[in-house]
Parts: sequence; structure tokens; C-alpha cells
Amino acid sequence: MIRKDRYVVLGAVLAVCVIWGACKQQRQPCLTPKVASLILETMHITTDTGTIFSDTSLPAAQFLALPTAGNADTFLFTQAAVFTISLSPTSNSCQWLFRADSVANSPRGTLFDTITFYYKRDLQFLSNACGYVNFYDLDSIRTSHFNIDSVHIINASVTNDISKKHVQVYIHPGF
Amino acid sequence: MISVKNMCRYIYILVFSALMLLDMPGAFAQADTATADTTSDHKVKKPDRAGHQLCISVDYFHPVMNALLGDRQSYEIGADYYLHNEYYLAAEGGFGSATVGYSDLSYNTNNSFFRFGFNKSVLTRTRPGDWDMMFIGLRLGAANVNRGFAHYTIVDSLWGNDTGSRQGTSFVPVWMELTGGVRVELVKGLSAGWNIRGKFMLNGKSFSALSPLYIAGYGRGDKNTVFDFNAYISYSIRWRRKSLEALEKKAPADTAKPTLAPAGKKENK
Repeated sequence: MIRKDRYVVLGAVLAVCVIWGACKQQRQPCLTPKVASLILETMHITTDTGTIFSDTSLPAAQFLALPTAGNADTFLFTQAAVFTISLSPTSNSCQWLFRADSVANSPRGTLFDTITFYYKRDLQFLSNACGYVNFYDLDSIRTSHFNIDSVHIINASVTNDISKKHVQVYIHPGF
Repeated sequence: MISVKNMCRYIYILVFSALMLLDMPGAFAQADTATADTTSDHKVKKPDRAGHQLCISVDYFHPVMNALLGDRQSYEIGADYYLHNEYYLAAEGGFGSATVGYSDLSYNTNNSFFRFGFNKSVLTRTRPGDWDMMFIGLRLGAANVNRGFAHYTIVDSLWGNDTGSRQGTSFVPVWMELTGGVRVELVKGLSAGWNIRGKFMLNGKSFSALSPLYIAGYGRGDKNTVFDFNAYISYSIRWRRKSLEALEKKAPADTAKPTLAPAGKKENK
């Protein structure tokens, strides 16, 4: 037999649980990245030795998105060799303009290269907190060749994993 | 592939179940309803004097939560039947629905569910008519979940938003529950109680394409381990065991005697 006064304590437990339950039912915060990021690494080939190395000499690289809808946006980077951009979730290709040095006086450095990414979209459900996101599978990349010598896909799967590099961009040896 | 974490979880459930089925004599010792008579060297099986009990319970915790939250509904009832040796066969069922109406994700789900298992009272019975109980139990639960069209928006300030919808689907989540709680008889036949439940999804991967936010009877569908709470009002129907009646007819004097002397009464010398 249980003493009835103990049941009062149990009732208090119930009340606490009701309040606890009511308070924790808000939408959980999304703790995972919601955007699949394409990570580019610029590479440099020296003209004299032909050695390839990760290029940290781009002093002020500039990326300019060319969206068919939405707002055109420019991303300016300080001296770096690794750049993070995004792909369009609304179509299977998208274009970025790129120039190696946005503050250079030489005509070559200020010319924009067009980089066109072709890919397949893969709709993924992350969680009820984050909703849906598109992951991408890169098919090919086309570029103009003012500053860019060539591009190379090293990892075609573009997800929200920000630790993986996807594309190597080889800067023209003459830059 | 089963992860190490899941493997440990299943082993824990199995060990717990095995211990309960073995009915550890020290831990769950009962008073006068015990099967063994400890006063004699030869253990003689005593009849279970507790009789039969069928208890119907209605949960009122979830309807209160429904009123507080508004985006979900869950209703459940349960029944348990006293078997023997403080074991109760338990079955529970119910239904519910949920609405997810975020700006970037919206869908509706509805489901019915069923759980069955057993409870084991760990409280010493003071007399055969004492039905207050503190129990632990194990359940296996399943639900039939229907999710309607899911509408989503992928928000992208640079390239523009992408909207779309995913077709509705049905799936059957299966889970295991460990439960423990209390039930107290308030007036004759009418009881109140509560229990807490630890629930472990067994096939959570099968609906990861869009795991529902809420499954009535389980809880958060996107989590493999959840805790839940029930508070309920119960009504019990009781009747005597035929075996006990036969025994009383056979030896009326024996059964009429109380098993323990009343407290405070001294023996005359």
C-alpha cells in the first residue's frame, strides 16, 4: 500500500513534467550547416621549375555570382588559397566570375574569368530543425582562360561537409 | 550495420528482460502472495490470493499537452490484466496527429499505435486486496504512420529560393520501451498513477527520408531514444480466482485465518 501523502509528491512530479514538456516543444535549433559549400583551392605552376603548389599569392581574389534570379553578389577575399562558394539550388548549372586580383593595375589581373559549374542536384532531408537542403554531384566545369589555366575536380560530391575540397583551380603560370 | 551504441542498447534491453523473467527472488520478494512458503524447509506453492484484476486506464497527460501545444494530438488508453506473482499483462493503444508548419517545411502526419508487454510490481503487497503498485515493465510498440505531402523551401539569398514538395508516404516504426511508475487506489476500484517511459526506436533508419516530428505513442520521430510520461486514471474490475474458491471450500478454516497476527495484539498466556 502506498501512503496517500506520497501521492501529493507524485502529483508535483507530474506538474513539473507537464511544464517541462510544454517548454521543450519549440523548434530545435539547426546545428548542422544548411548550405552545401563548394570549396575551391587555387594552385600555381611556376614557369621556371614547373613545380605545382597551393597558391597563397592571390592578394585580393574576387568572386562574383551570376544568378538568374535573386541578387547578384560579390565576394572579395583577402590573401588566400582556399575559397568557399555555393551552387545554385534552383538549376543544374551556375556561373561565377573570378579574377585573381581585384586591386591589380595590370590589365591581365583585373580581367574576369567565367567559371560554369554543371552538376546534378540531390535533395536531402537534414532534420526537422534544418529542413531540406540540396547536395550536388559535379559533372563538369568550364572556364575561360584569362587567369585560369585549367580546373580539376578532385571531389565531385558537394555536401555540407566543409572539410573537403572539391575543385583545384590552376592559375596561369604567367600571373 | 548496427552501431556499437545500438548494440549496447539492445544488449541492455535483453539483459533487463532476462532478469525480469528470471524474477530475482531477493529483489522482488512479495509478502503473502509469494509463491514460496519460507517457513518450511520444503517449499510449498501457495495460491495467489490476489484474485483477478482487469484495469482500464485513460491517459490524461497527453490531452493536457495537446491543449498546451496545439500542433499535435495524442490520445491513449491502456489495459492490464493481473496474471500471477505480481506480473501484469499490459496492452495500450491510441491515435494522434501532428502538424508541422515552419516557414521552410510543412507537413501533416497521423498515426495509430499499439503497445503490448508486461508490468512487474515491485511493491510488497500488504494484503490480497492491496492493488497499489510500483512497477517496472517492458513494451514492444508499433505505429502506422501516414505522412501527407511535405512542402519545403530551400532558402538561398544569393541564388533564389527553391520550393518543392515530396509525396506522402506511410511507414511502420517499431520500438521497445522500458517503463516504470506508480498506481494508487484512490477509492474502491478507481486508481490514479503515472509512469515514465524510455523508448528506443528499432528501425529509425527506415524512414530517414523525412522522419516525422511527432509520432503519437512514441514521441519525437527524428530521435532514436526518447523519454515520455503518462498520467492516468484507471478503473479496475476484480473477481476471485476459481482455484482459490475451490481451495477455500476444501479447507475453509485454513484460509479464514489471517497469515499475520494483527499488530499490537499480545498473546494470552
